Amino acid sequence: MFTTGSKLFLGASALSLVSALLYAGTTDGALSMPGVLGLLTATIVFGFLGGINWYTRDGNVSGAQEGVERTSSAAQPAGSNSMWPLVAAVGVGGLVIGAVSRPVVFKVAVVVVLAAAVEWMVLGWSERASGDSDYNSGVRRRILFPLEFPILAAVGLGVIVYSFSRVMLRLDKDSGKAAFGAIAAMVLFAGFVFASKRNVAKRTVTGVCTIAAVALFGVGVASAVQGQRTIEAHPTTASEAAVCLEAGTAGEIDDNASQSVSAKSSVIANVYLQSNNVVVAYVNGVPGTAFSSIDVPRSAWVRVLFHNDADQSHRLTARLGTFGANAEVIQCTTAVHTGHEAFLDFKVAKTNLASSTPIVLMVPGLDGQEIQINVP
Amino acid sequence: MFVKPSRRRRVAAAAALGLLLAGCAKNAPQDTFDPAGSNARSIDDLQRPVFYVAGVVGIIVFAVVGYAIWKFKDRGQDIPEQSHGNPKLEIALTILPAIILAAICVPTVSQVFSLDKKDNNCVINVTGQQWWWEYDYAKGSECGGVVIPESIVTSAELVIPANTDVLLRITSRDVIHSFWIPRLNGKRDAVPGRLHTLRLQADQPGLYTGQCTEFCGLSHARMRQAAIALNTADFQTWVTNQTEAYTAPEAGTAAAVGQSTFIAQCSRCHQVNGLQDGDGKPVLAEPDLYVLSGAAPNLTNLLTRTAFAGWTFDLLTDECRDTLWNAPPDEFGALYLKGVTAECFNEANLREWIRNAPAMKPMYTDPKNLGSTGGKTRGMPALGLTEAQIDEIIAYLLERK
Ligand code: HEC
Ligand SMILES: [Cu+2]
Repeated sequence: MFTTGSKLFLGASALSLVSALLYAGTTDGALSMPGVLGLLTATIVFGFLGGINWYTRDGNVSGAQEGVERTSSAAQPAGSNSMWPLVAAVGVGGLVIGAVSRPVVFKVAVVVVLAAAVEWMVLGWSERASGDSDYNSGVRRRILFPLEFPILAAVGLGVIVYSFSRVMLRLDKDSGKAAFGAIAAMVLFAGFVFASKRNVAKRTVTGVCTIAAVALFGVGVASAVQGQRTIEAHPTTASEAAVCLEAGTAGEIDDNASQSVSAKSSVIANVYLQSNNVVVAYVNGVPGTAFSSIDVPRSAWVRVLFHNDADQSHRLTARLGTFGANAEVIQCTTAVHTGHEAFLDFKVAKTNLASSTPIVLMVPGLDGQEIQINVP
Repeated sequence: MFVKPSRRRRVAAAAALGLLLAGCAKNAPQDTFDPAGSNARSIDDLQRPVFYVAGVVGIIVFAVVGYAIWKFKDRGQDIPEQSHGNPKLEIALTILPAIILAAICVPTVSQVFSLDKKDNNCVINVTGQQWWWEYDYAKGSECGGVVIPESIVTSAELVIPANTDVLLRITSRDVIHSFWIPRLNGKRDAVPGRLHTLRLQADQPGLYTGQCTEFCGLSHARMRQAAIALNTADFQTWVTNQTEAYTAPEAGTAAAVGQSTFIAQCSRCHQVNGLQDGDGKPVLAEPDLYVLSGAAPNLTNLLTRTAFAGWTFDLLTDECRDTLWNAPPDEFGALYLKGVTAECFNEANLREWIRNAPAMKPMYTDPKNLGSTGGKTRGMPALGLTEAQIDEIIAYLLERK
C-alpha cells in the first residue's frame, strides 16, 4: 500500500515527531521552544510530502498501461552493491562512541551519517529514476559530482596543507628554510617535466602525484606525533618592581619587535638614553626639541620607543603612580643593549594629583635621570 | 496607478532636479569644496581638476553609450556583421586610462606626503571616545606663540589660533573614531593604542564644524565637533581664561549648594580643576571606575563652550547661535569669548541633560545591560535628581566660565 517514496517521508516525519518529544522532554526553558517548533515543523512538512507521494503513488505509471512491466522504473534491475549502508553503520557507531567519549568524535560521526544518508538516498533513487538504464547510471553523477568534487578537493587540499604545516613546525628554523626550498624546487621541476613532455602517460602523472601526497601525509602524521619544535618566547616588558627597579644588564631583547614600522610611526615620544647617560624625550610633533617631561591623555594607551645609546645595557622603567591603598604601578622594558631599541606601552587612568608617588619614566641605576609624565 | 508616459517622464525629471538642487543647500557648513585653510585648499586644488577630468570622461562615456543606444536601436534592420576582438582598440583602451591614472597619481602621491609635514607651531592631543572628543593642551607647550601655563583639558570645541599650523595627535580610548573638519583638512582615524597626526590651519577666525566619520556605535551620529579659530590676542585671552584659578561660588548662594551637590553627584566622573571638598582636599574625578572609556568631559569651563555632549546640543539659544555662526571674522573672536551669557543661555537643553541624559542621546547606561562591562557605562547615566538639585547644579555650572 505504501510506496517507496512515501515510506521515506513518513519515516522521516515519525522520526521528527519522536525527536521533538524527546527534545521537549530533555531540555527546558526558553531554549527548547525554537527547537521543538523546528522539529514539529519538520514533522508536518515530511508528513505532507509523504501524503503527496502516497496519493500519487510516487508518480509511477498505472498498471493498465502496455509494456510497463519492462519499461517502468520499478521494473529496472535492483541496484549494485553499495558501500553507503556500511558507512552509515560506522557513522552510527561513531555517534554512540562519541556520545560517551569525546565531542569531536560525535561531531565527525554526525557529518559521516549525514553524508552517508545523502549519498545512499540519491543512489537508491538514481538506480530506478526512470525506465532508461543509461540515463539512470548517469543521473547520479550529474547530481552528486558538483557536490562531491569541491568537497573532496577541499578536504584533499586541507590534508596537504595541514601535513605540510606540521612538517614545517617540526623542523628547526634553518632546515625549515632548506626543506621549503627543496620541496618547491621539486614541484617546479616535476611541473616542468610534465609540461615539456607532452606525451607523459596519464597514469605516470597520477602515480607521481599520489606517491607525493601519501608521502607528505605520512611525514605530516609522523611530525604531528612528535610535536612542534620549541619556540622561544621573547619577553619584551615586565611589570614587577623587583625586575623593573634593578639596573638590568641580563636578559634578552627582541630586536625584531622594535623594528615594526607601523608601531614606530605611532609613538608619543622617543626616549633617548644618550651616551653621556642623560635621558631626554623627543615628542611626536615637536621635532628637534629635547624635553624632560611629556604629556599623555589619561586612560589612553600610549607608546614610547626607548633608544639606548649608552655603553651599557639599560632598561626603561615607567613608574605609573600609587593610587589609594594599591601598590605602585610599574612597567619596564627588558634590558636593552647598547645601540638597540625597545617599545614600552602604558596607560595612566588617573591624574598626577591622585598619585602619592611621582609618575615618571626612569632608567634604573642612573640617579636623577627622569622624564616627568603629566596626566592632566 | 496608471501614469501616462509623458507624465512619468516629467515626474522623473522633477525628481532628478530635486536631487540636484538638494546638493546646493544654503546651510551646509561641512563643505569639502569650500576650503578655509591651507591644508584643505591644497586638497581642493587637487580634487577639482581630477573631478573635472573625471566629469569630462564621464560625459564622453555617457554620450557614446547614448549614441550607441539610439543609433543601433532595433528598427527591424538586419543583424550587423559580427566581429570578435580588435587588438588596436583594446590596447588603446587599456593604455589611455593607464596614462590618465598615472597623470593623476603623481600629484596625488606628492600631495599625500606634503600634507604629512610635521613642522608646526602648536601640538594638541585629541582623544576620541564614545561619543565625544577630548582636547588637551600640554602644560608648558607653546601654541601659536602663546604659552600654555597649565594643562588645559576641554571637549566639543577645539580652540586653535588662526593662521597657525596646528598639529593634532589623535588617538582613541575605546573604539575607532575618525576626526574630520571638512573645511580645514581631510579625515584621520583615531585608533586605540596608536597616535595619528593631522594638521589643521584656518586662515580666518571662525567656527568650522565636523563630525566623527568612523561608525563607532550607538550615538555615532551624535559625535560631532567644531574647530574654533581665534586670532592670537583672542587665543591668548582664551588660554588665560581656561587656566584661571578656580573661584568657588559665594557662600549661601544657590551655586554654593550646587557645588556640594555637584561633588556628591557628578565629581566621580567629571573633573572641575581646582575644586576642593569641605576639608580643603582636591576633588578628583575617577571616570576610569565608572565609564568604559575611562574619561568624562572636563567641566571646569563648560560655559565657555557653545554646545555639549558631542557638540550635539546647544548651550546657546538659536538666535545667539546664529549670530555667532554668521559673525564676520573680525567680530567672531569677541563674540565667542563672551561665552554663554545669561540672555543667550539655552537652559532647556542643559536641564534636560542633567535630568535624563540617555533620553536625549542614546547611550549604554541601563544597569541591566552593563554585565559585559563590569557595570561601567558608555555615556552618562540618568541620575534621578530632584528639580531643586538640578536648579542648584545649573546655578553652579553657570559660573564655570
Ligand atoms: C557615571 C559617570 C557620570 C556621572 C556620574 C555624570 N556624568 Fe556627565 N557625562 C558623563 C559622560 C561619559 C559624558 C559624555 C557623554 C557624551 O557626550 O556622549 C557626560 C557629559 C556631560 C556633559 C556634557 C559635557 C560636554 O562638554 O560635552 C555635562 C554638562 C554633564 N555630563 C553634566 C553632568 C552633571 C551635572 C552631572 C551630575 C549631576 C554628571 N554629568 C554626572 C559621565 C557622567
Ligand atoms: Cu566616533
